[in-house]
Amino acid sequence: MYHMAGVQLTKVKGLPMKKLFIFLLGAVLLNAREFIGKVPLVEHAKEVHFTGSRLISPELLHNILHYQTWGELFVYLQVHWFRALFFGITVGVLVVFLLHYLIIGPKKFSHSGKGVFVYSVFKRVVHWTAALAFVLVIPTGFMMIFGKELGGGDLVLTARYIHSIGTVLFIVSFIPMFLMWFIPMLPTLDDIKWFLMLGGYLTKKKVVVPAGQFNAGQKMWFWVAMLGGIVMIGTGAMMYFQDFHLAILDRFGLDQIDLIRIAAITHNFLGMAVAALFITHLYMSLFAIKGSLDSMISGNKSEDEVKYMHSSFYKKLKKEGKI
Amino acid sequence: MARMKFYCDEGRCIECLGCAVACEEANELPVGISRRKVVTVNEGMEGQEYSVSVACMHCTDAPCEQVCPVDCFYIRADGIVLHDKTTCIGCGYCLYACPFGAPQFPKDGAFGTRGVMDKCTMCAGGPEPTNSAKERELYGQNRIAEGKVPMCAAICSTNALIVGDEAEVSDIYRKRVMQRGKGVIGVPYGWSTAYKG
Repeated sequence: MYHMAGVQLTKVKGLPMKKLFIFLLGAVLLNAREFIGKVPLVEHAKEVHFTGSRLISPELLHNILHYQTWGELFVYLQVHWFRALFFGITVGVLVVFLLHYLIIGPKKFSHSGKGVFVYSVFKRVVHWTAALAFVLVIPTGFMMIFGKELGGGDLVLTARYIHSIGTVLFIVSFIPMFLMWFIPMLPTLDDIKWFLMLGGYLTKKKVVVPAGQFNAGQKMWFWVAMLGGIVMIGTGAMMYFQDFHLAILDRFGLDQIDLIRIAAITHNFLGMAVAALFITHLYMSLFAIKGSLDSMISGNKSEDEVKYMHSSFYKKLKKEGKI
Repeated sequence: MARMKFYCDEGRCIECLGCAVACEEANELPVGISRRKVVTVNEGMEGQEYSVSVACMHCTDAPCEQVCPVDCFYIRADGIVLHDKTTCIGCGYCLYACPFGAPQFPKDGAFGTRGVMDKCTMCAGGPEPTNSAKERELYGQNRIAEGKVPMCAAICSTNALIVGDEAEVSDIYRKRVMQRGKGVIGVPYGWSTAYKG
């Protein structure tokens, strides 16, 4: 049809330029449309480099179709399990320790004498930095899990911010703590014996407990806090930054949103272990063994306590003539 | 009682992004936040390419509402899923739970940190008094209360995006399917009218 118009144009001289322009534009557009129809603009659309937000993949429909893999699992766990497990584990641990305190009671050791110097100033500073981090992170974590009961809003929002700030403190203390305690925290044969008698905590009698500088319980806490801590930092960072791009995701065929879902699931389950052992650590140092907190304040541990609770360490010190 | 639904007809959507822009402007959203996204599938593949506009789908069994740790969501009697921004803590769980990636988080919290969640309200505002300044500031327009169509559907030039009571929406779509067949029809909607008339 436009060819006919063209024929007309050549006949009529002195046609306004405007009309000619519109005609040319129309011709170009029509030709362009034919061109688009014949040649695919992009042969492999999926390989196109995407520079914007990866949060929802460039192909949103891919996310929607793959929702069943991780999305539904996250919803199922969050709706039915996370809150219940956190509540159950926390209450369970507290009840067990309350019963332990009432039935078996705390262990008391003589604090006379100079004691054994176990923690240098550096170690104490690192410990208390990590301790402050945990005191900030764990209660705020619980505040978010049970945000419904607290009514949400600014209170829980602030808790979320403090949760992130506490993490920074933990990151600071992480490397020195790992390096200074890595070797004494390695498992030994004593640990099996310790677990078999549950560290002597099930008897009122003062028994000699097989343990080096750290007993199996402390080691368990150390490794959960360190290896678990790395995972908690990593998964927490993913949830915190939310919108990031890891090239490696493409290699695993994983959408970014799925990675964050996996991170949230991991963070919750690991959080249960960390919270349970944190409460245990508090109970042991504050209540179960009277005065054991002193060693982390002054650096000196009661000789009597070392003799019974860390017998292998005591023997080693004696051999070296340090006592 | 009406049950409000969005439907985007992929046979009609021409990826003009009118819905996304109109929504951003009407609700004065911060830069980088689009409650509505237009997604093009099979881009560049002849005869297979089509686009759909996606936002919050206002699910009946909304997973966001189920996972929210502070219970800030509520579902209106007409099925519109809304949330209370003064209760929301911006944890992101609703985003992990959402199949459509609807929840977004403007960085407007303290020191530019991630703030509370923002999503499509089907232009129905929030829990604050209807058409109050606070409602407008937090959630954008409340067009539903004024008897108007949500901005995205109101602006859609090809009527691809339709919104309303589910029975009526499905009735419209059913009539379209009867006339032109189901799904994508190779050539974008309106092409013949625009270029071959």
